[in-house]
Amino acid sequence: MSKQQPNPPKLAKWLLNWFLKKELAEEVTGDLDEKYHHTLNENSTIKAKLNYWYQVFNYLRPFALKHNRSNSNYFIMYQHNFKLTYRNLLKYKSSFIINVIGLSTGLACALLIFLWVSDEISIDKFHKKDQHLYQVLLNHDESGILRTGTESPGIMAEALQQEIPEITMSVEDTPAEWFDENFSISDGKNFIKAKGKFSGKDYFKLFSFPFKHGDPSQSLTDKSSIVITESLALKLFGTTENLLGKMVDYHLLHIKKQAQITGVIKDLPLNSTIQFDFVLPFEVFKDIIGKGMHWGNYNAVTFVEVANGTNISALNNKLGNFIKEKLEGSNVTPFVSKFSDNYLYGNYENGIQSGGRITYVKLFSLIGLFVLAIACINFMNLTTARASRRLKEIGVKKALGAQRSSLVVQFLSESVLVTVFSLLVAFGMVWTVLPQFNEITGKFLSLQFNTNLVVGTLSLAIVTGLLAGSYPALYLSGFKPIHILKGKLNASFGDVWIRKGLVIFQFSLSIIMIVCVLVVYQQIEYIQSKNLGYDKENILSIPMEGQAVENTEAFMAELKNVPGVINASCTSHTMVKNGSYTTGVSWPGKNPDVEIRFEQAAVYYGLIETLGIQVLQGRSFSKDYASENTKIMLNEAAINVMGLEDPIGKTVNLWGADMEVIGVVKNFNYASLHNKVEPMLFRMNDKFFPHGFIKISANNIPTTIQNIENFYKKFNPEYALEYTFLDQNFQAQYIAEARVSVLSRYFASIAIIISCLGLFGLAAFTAERRQKEIGVRKILGAGHLKIIALLSNDFTKMVLSAILIALPIGYYISSNWLGTFVYHIQLRWWFFALSGLLALIIAWLTISFQTIRAANINPVKCLKED
Amino acid sequence: MKETRLGEFEEVILLIVGILGDDAYALRVADEFETQTNRAVSIGAVHSSLNRLSEKGFLTSAMGQSSPERGGRRKRIYTITASGRSVLDDARSLRLSLYNQYPGFMVEFVGS
Repeated sequence: MSKQQPNPPKLAKWLLNWFLKKELAEEVTGDLDEKYHHTLNENSTIKAKLNYWYQVFNYLRPFALKHNRSNSNYFIMYQHNFKLTYRNLLKYKSSFIINVIGLSTGLACALLIFLWVSDEISIDKFHKKDQHLYQVLLNHDESGILRTGTESPGIMAEALQQEIPEITMSVEDTPAEWFDENFSISDGKNFIKAKGKFSGKDYFKLFSFPFKHGDPSQSLTDKSSIVITESLALKLFGTTENLLGKMVDYHLLHIKKQAQITGVIKDLPLNSTIQFDFVLPFEVFKDIIGKGMHWGNYNAVTFVEVANGTNISALNNKLGNFIKEKLEGSNVTPFVSKFSDNYLYGNYENGIQSGGRITYVKLFSLIGLFVLAIACINFMNLTTARASRRLKEIGVKKALGAQRSSLVVQFLSESVLVTVFSLLVAFGMVWTVLPQFNEITGKFLSLQFNTNLVVGTLSLAIVTGLLAGSYPALYLSGFKPIHILKGKLNASFGDVWIRKGLVIFQFSLSIIMIVCVLVVYQQIEYIQSKNLGYDKENILSIPMEGQAVENTEAFMAELKNVPGVINASCTSHTMVKNGSYTTGVSWPGKNPDVEIRFEQAAVYYGLIETLGIQVLQGRSFSKDYASENTKIMLNEAAINVMGLEDPIGKTVNLWGADMEVIGVVKNFNYASLHNKVEPMLFRMNDKFFPHGFIKISANNIPTTIQNIENFYKKFNPEYALEYTFLDQNFQAQYIAEARVSVLSRYFASIAIIISCLGLFGLAAFTAERRQKEIGVRKILGAGHLKIIALLSNDFTKMVLSAILIALPIGYYISSNWLGTFVYHIQLRWWFFALSGLLALIIAWLTISFQTIRAANINPVKCLKED
Repeated sequence: MKETRLGEFEEVILLIVGILGDDAYALRVADEFETQTNRAVSIGAVHSSLNRLSEKGFLTSAMGQSSPERGGRRKRIYTITASGRSVLDDARSLRLSLYNQYPGFMVEFVGS
């Protein structure tokens, strides 16, 4: 071998020497050198060097390493730390369990809310054209006040597309809700109820509802076409295949038509606000409306696609006079608003966007954050409180030469370990309660682990762990061991002001929640029991269709003879939500510049009586009088607005025809309690009353319903009877409020429980710390009560300050919420007194267990040590 | 008590140590293993195995001579101990007895 030969790679050699046991160095380096030279003789230098590296890495084996299990300080130390963590948890089982339960409940709560919120946010966002999909809304100027509505003239869409270049596509549509239960459809044999609507020909180009069969762009071009969903196809035909071209019959009230299937779409996603079973071409609706299709009639909703890069506010300015130019004297200003925003931001006040469901999204996000904050604070509080128990451990370790950094790592990893464990428990909890949660919220949420969720929750757990562990890790580890071991530092940890602050913060949040829950509960109770001005009990609500429409008089007369039926009538109004209104009322002495809105209902004989609406003056419509078509009834609010004195017999002009006022009814709530009772008129000059109401006797309701069904089958064999109870329909309007009420109750209880767990842990800790003091006091003659008072005092002060902070905030929040109802309860002082008292009592009960135990302690026991 | 069973790899290594006699050090054993079995092996793997066999008491070792291409460093020469021999013996008789009981081979033996 010559000296020119290249040497083995130096770095590899250094690496080998770094990790290899000293006693092996000679033989191993010898072997590797020999191998290197052998390879060099037979192969290239690079191969030899690579082989050397390969051999070095292959010496990374336990037997050859310097720091191996049995002889590594690190390994022993970590093993020791884990052992200590484990033993500590066993030693203080109760506080560990409190900690984990508290934190994981908080995390679970936050997770549930997170799932709900992300679902809410995703609503309607799935359309491919989402970014450019806008809805046309109309601002109605009603005597200076702007009211915003979604209804627009049915001929608007076409005009927009032709006249406004920024609008590249527009579609007229009728929401399925407009037709309630009035559509039925059949494959030629049996009719079933289904939700249908009419939409413009580009509907499926604008909205991305995926087609299973058929061509989205051609499916609504023909007047006789119909697009149905998969589930309707299954109901009608039992299959979703080979349906294109098949005929179906449909009925809408008294209209009977046929249509040919041109498309089958997949069932609509749950996060779509648009829900229907089938779509018919808008042209059909135009034919039905006939002359009613003009600029003054708002009988459609309009969706548009705006061109890329359109300035929306400029477009809205441009649209401002769109309808006014077409119709002289019009009071409406159209504007566009992003379709997917309408779900969360659906409320307008005087033409300006004023929130909507986003309020609940924000509210729950806030509650989620609160609960999470309470849980995390709790965790930190208890961890730091417990940490001072471990001062001796720190002292001994430091005396034995432990470095500060290793203590920091020990405490941090310990608390992170517990938080990560709590996170797992939280996932378990969420998984268990998700079905119930879905039931309450009316959603279909599922726990899906995506990167965002896992990274988000994991980092939350780790940050909480790090924060909680930082106190013992950074603060306690800094003390001189001699001070710790002499016990000089012991006393000062009982009452850190931060800990007090945290308890106050927690309890403030809990009290705010108690106030809110009380108020929400009271308001919901109020809604359900408020006298609406009519009797909503035992009234069936049915759609009027087929023979019932064609032969209303006979239908009503025979219906009243059915055993158990007290009265029956029908009207154009649902009596639970705003129906149609008009501004076309004038009377002598009316200021012609002021437009006044009248809620209007076409009614049949006996409606006032069926609903039990009180007639204050005059009479209601009756067959005993002739030409009732020219008569009108008003409510109190209308009389007040009109300023009519002695209204009976006066003449009022409705839509150009003179009508005689025959009666005045007491104000009653014809819509949700969010709205005021507005002026209302009742007229008879109509042929069509879609909503039937049947007052039945309170006894034997099932038999009566059976009787009505039998009668209906005979009278109206082509239709199936679908009935609902009026009082239930009324409740259904407040489903959002009812959900908020139930959910807020749950979340508030959880927040309170978590706070109490924290208080409990802290009380236990304080009682333990002050054991000696209590012992001495007892020996000097202090009684039980005195000691209980001593221990409770601190906590009482904290809770009292929390009450002081929380009540004004609670007042502010709850009065804001009540402001969304026109008819609401008054905030009473006792709501707040009760909330405060409740918090105080809960706090006392929580700590009483600990204080009483401390007061009963035998002083000999706690004083004999040391 | 130490584990005293023999793995397949260990068995081969032990045999090779026996074959090589006075020249049995880690590198040489690894080379021999590669030529005999046509399987690639690293010196580290062989060394680890030799170490394990020594712990089990089947091998002893002593530092031997050095050579210039080793940079003057000595090699560790391994020798089979009595218990190493007997464990090889056991392994062989176990194998043989198993082979003899396997009908597929028995026919062949009978036939030849």
